[in-house]
Amino acid sequence: MKRWMCMNCGWTYDETLGDPAGGIAPGTPWEQIPDTWKCPDCGSPKSEFDMVEI
Amino acid sequence: MNVMTLPRLIDLEDKTFDPFVVEKLATGDAEDPYPLIHELQAKGSVHKGGYRELFTDLPDTLHALNQYMVFNYDTLLRVLTDAETFGNRDAFMHTLGRSFGRTVSVMDAPEHTRFRKIFQQAFLPQTVAKWGASVVDPVVTDLMSGFIGRGEADLVEEFTHHYPFQVIYRQLQLDREQAPIFHKLAIAQILTSLDLPQGFEAAAKLGVFFQALLDQRRAEPGDDLISHLATVEADGERLPDEVLISFLRQLMNAGGDTTYRGTSALLTGLLMNPDQLEAVRADRSLVPQAIDEALRWEGPVLTTIRYVRREVELDGVLLPEGAILNMILGSANRDPTKFKDPDRFDIFRDRTVRHLGFASGPHVCIGQHLARVEMTRAVNALLDRLPNLRLDPSKPPPKLLGHKLRVPDHIYVKFDA
Repeated sequence: MKRWMCMNCGWTYDETLGDPAGGIAPGTPWEQIPDTWKCPDCGSPKSEFDMVEI
Repeated sequence: MNVMTLPRLIDLEDKTFDPFVVEKLATGDAEDPYPLIHELQAKGSVHKGGYRELFTDLPDTLHALNQYMVFNYDTLLRVLTDAETFGNRDAFMHTLGRSFGRTVSVMDAPEHTRFRKIFQQAFLPQTVAKWGASVVDPVVTDLMSGFIGRGEADLVEEFTHHYPFQVIYRQLQLDREQAPIFHKLAIAQILTSLDLPQGFEAAAKLGVFFQALLDQRRAEPGDDLISHLATVEADGERLPDEVLISFLRQLMNAGGDTTYRGTSALLTGLLMNPDQLEAVRADRSLVPQAIDEALRWEGPVLTTIRYVRREVELDGVLLPEGAILNMILGSANRDPTKFKDPDRFDIFRDRTVRHLGFASGPHVCIGQHLARVEMTRAVNALLDRLPNLRLDPSKPPPKLLGHKLRVPDHIYVKFDA
């Protein structure tokens, strides 16, 4: 399975869950998340995420 | 397999000094700090004074500094995620920095950002997942073989107090004979926070050991954690030895002591609530939320600290530059405005609000994914191999103790052998 992962803390974005607390509704594709959104665990910007196999 | 001889550890000169007893004094024996926490929380989020002084007269290295305490969830989250205003370096230089040296906990950006990313490579979920079967399971099986046929056990003395440390020993490829000295030095080094000379002696001896270990693994790298850290890169950069050795000094406490306490809290919560234990036994997909609830309910680390980098107002209290903030994570995790009936252990509670058991922000726990792997493997093994696991009704129930780091002394259980 491939997921977008924050390289600074290991938090993974699950499209089905989204990030409601961060204003991202469940089902939101990664590409539609604004660049201003931050990792809910460590606060890193979206640019610090990589696609990884987990 | 490394063929070079592993460096030898040297015990403390004073053989009568027992760091475990002194550490127990330092972490406290408060049975339940939460009524006082709730009382202060209800009066306001930010209070003047040091958290430790609420529970003990034993002075530490923060004692003489200008301290404040932060109790409410939203305020804690604001501080933890605003590293420009609230720093780590000038707070932890009085505590962890004295014990471990130039570790990432004692750094602020941009230095912290650079090194944190390199360390995190070794602790990403896909990396630590591989250690579940290769490292954690053999340790768990070995420890359980000591009591599995007996029908009863003390899960603290015979299991939780050993398994996360033994996971680290396996990663270091430390032999059994050296392990007790290693554990003793690792605990002794944190006593620099009480200004005890044995703390500095232990930190120096571990530093010599880790330098030799790094040299050995660089000469003949294996697939272990040390070899990985000694050679890992991010954006083309490697870790300097001084930073690496400081991190390894911290590993036993940050990676061993916390998991021992967290697993003990998880088992306490489940065993004290047999309906929830049964639910998890029947449906292992509930294990992750049981772990999260344990970390919220009785997170092993109740407090962390931050430094005020510029004068700022926080919830109506003017904080001067240089003040030390005691961040009461255990209070945030029991904030009644965020968690309904917060003192109750309930693995089925709404999980919309994230707990702060691993903190949050740039310094969020670097080993949280390994901790989850270890706790998952441990609880699954206990439920798989100890049928009808339950508290021993003839012995006292587990009681978590401590105002800063929480753990029960014993978890007496029975099961069908």
